[in-house]
Amino acid sequence: MKQRDKMEGFWNSKRSQEEMVGFGLIIIIVAVIILVFLSLSVKQNGTNIESYEVESFLQATIYYTTSCETYSGFLNIEELIKGCEKENVCLNGKSNCQVLNETLKDISKESWNVKQGGFVKGYELKVNSGQQELITISEGNKTQSSKGSLQALPENIKITMDVFY
Amino acid sequence: MKNKKSTRALTLVDNLNICPKSKRSQIKIQQMAIMMIVLTIFFVFVALFIITIKLSGTKDKATALEEENAMLLVSKLAESPEFSCGESYGYGLSNCIDLDKVIILKEKNEYNGFWPVSSIEIRKIYPKTSDIECTKNNLDNCNIIKVYSKTTDTITQSTFVSLCRKEKTSNGVENKCDIAKLIVGYETKG
Repeated sequence: MKQRDKMEGFWNSKRSQEEMVGFGLIIIIVAVIILVFLSLSVKQNGTNIESYEVESFLQATIYYTTSCETYSGFLNIEELIKGCEKENVCLNGKSNCQVLNETLKDISKESWNVKQGGFVKGYELKVNSGQQELITISEGNKTQSSKGSLQALPENIKITMDVFY
Repeated sequence: MKNKKSTRALTLVDNLNICPKSKRSQIKIQQMAIMMIVLTIFFVFVALFIITIKLSGTKDKATALEEENAMLLVSKLAESPEFSCGESYGYGLSNCIDLDKVIILKEKNEYNGFWPVSSIEIRKIYPKTSDIECTKNNLDNCNIIKVYSKTTDTITQSTFVSLCRKEKTSNGVENKCDIAKLIVGYETKG
């Protein structure tokens, strides 16, 4: 009898140990599944949002009066882009494309302060005429998150800007 | 005698068998109850964790929405007749501020408190010059126009604008536009 009780007690404790281990395994499996689910739902792919700030920058830029003088007066950026497409030259001998490139570079540099540890990590400004890429200006690093805008001008000209942060 | 003994032994054995079985089932019920309680507590913690993460996202969205509203107010200000270029510059420019209008507006005390903001400032971004406040006499060499300022303890929102003026050249009077930022300050609400 005593031996039988001992055997029964032994198997009971074995069974309870098995049940505890099983319970622990279930908890661990459920925790792992939930963590995987959470990491998938929280993880964000690169986001690009349309930004009013970038849009206003592009609108202000295209009306900037440049140093390129012609017989009809000083050209703004929009007129300079059209002149660059036609390979026109300013009165001082510089080509429209050259003045456009220099001016857009300076404007972007002053407007978007890209520096180490800063909020803005980089930017890219493109001027396209149809499929042809007229000007591309970039500075800093491209990251997964960006805000951008597009300005469409007559004669199939597009200016796009992406600011990376 | 022997039968009585064996019967008594049998009864004892039966009792021993019956007692552990009921004890065993009680223990199993207790085990099940404890497991269910622990599982419930575990899932409650998981739910709390998920809700915390979701709510933190909501707060960011609310902040972004508030920022967007502030940006829209700034852009509305840029389009208001007191600032806007209107048709003076040939065709309707958007986000265009007339420098001459703003310089005169700066001196008009009647407009203090007209807009629901605590400060309005225009800062020329390009071409770059040193920080000099603009007056009627130094418009060519200045870059800061403080239109209105109530307090200094504010949060600010800004938008890019074209800052345009009429300039006399050899070809006559021409439009000259620079790039500036319209900076609007709001009082912090604690």
